[in-house]
Amino acid sequence: MTHLEVRQRILADNEAAAAALRARFAPARTLVVNLISSPGSGKTTLLEATVRAFGGRLRLGAIEGDIATDRDANRLRALGIPAHQILTGGSCHLDARQVIRALEEHDLGPLDVLFIENVGNLVCPTSYDLGEDFKVALLSVTEGEDKPFKYPAIFARASVTVVTKADLLPYVSFKLDEVRRQVGALRPGGTLLVTSATTGEGVAVWCALLEQHLAEKRGGGS
Amino acid sequence: MAREPRRARTAGIIPGGGPLHELSLATEIYRTCRATIDARGPGRLDSARVAIGELAAVEPELLVYAWEAVVSGGRDTAARLEVEWHPARQTCANCGELKERAPGNWLRICPACGGPVRIAGGDELDVIDLSYTPDEEGTAK
Repeated sequence: MTHLEVRQRILADNEAAAAALRARFAPARTLVVNLISSPGSGKTTLLEATVRAFGGRLRLGAIEGDIATDRDANRLRALGIPAHQILTGGSCHLDARQVIRALEEHDLGPLDVLFIENVGNLVCPTSYDLGEDFKVALLSVTEGEDKPFKYPAIFARASVTVVTKADLLPYVSFKLDEVRRQVGALRPGGTLLVTSATTGEGVAVWCALLEQHLAEKRGGGS
Repeated sequence: MAREPRRARTAGIIPGGGPLHELSLATEIYRTCRATIDARGPGRLDSARVAIGELAAVEPELLVYAWEAVVSGGRDTAARLEVEWHPARQTCANCGELKERAPGNWLRICPACGGPVRIAGGDELDVIDLSYTPDEEGTAK
């Protein structure tokens, strides 16, 4: 029997594909945001509110990942932005090669911000780099304040956590301070936003954060 | 006996590309091992060792089931996968690393001094090494 040292990242192929995506987005200075949450946290609804809030001021586009149906892409197209649906056919996450294929199939045109809405899942998408500038974790107030410590990987990797459905706070026992503490422990220096797509609370702050990241990307030279 | 239904169930979902991300990872691990061996000449994979971090969002037991499904029926059908588990380290600025923490149990403040606790590491997702039997050695037995 022969013994060999390998010392290689398991996801080396995905990381190479993600690097290719970054190289592709860099000249156009497109800001790429990877949205991750459990199903029903309001990823598409937040994007709808974002599209409405920008009102055509920025060129927005979306890649939607789902196991089945093109509902999410249709919801965003209905608001007038280019959107491509990736049907994973059972797979629990998007990988960088799927995003490359999606862009080959469907040229979304020149964009200021590309949102990649991952398959609804707080676990599996965490390890797959999609060439994004940053990851956003969404947590709706109906899911409970214990989720960051229960799913530490995503809340440690996401530089932004967006609490959604804040209009329901009076009706649920969701401890916002506890979420702040947990996210602060897992991601020191991370940003936590509190939003409601229903009342519009926090949507302007979220849009300002996107614009700030876009300005940094444009000014940063890379 | 107990293993057969599990294997059959996992094997059935391979064509779809893998509902479990453990299955995608097992496929990548196997591809990496095969490429490493193929670069040296023909041979049979005996075992592979991987490092999995606490923050890698991987269930080691599922990874092993997925691995069995991936290698099952091929030339490396008996190849074993060993998972080396790497917990994330929680450290206090004053007291250093907190050793007594159970995996999956997160501390907000240091139990000794009450200071803030930081997290480092735990994101390992690597193929460490492998053992294989070159073909001439295998057939000479």
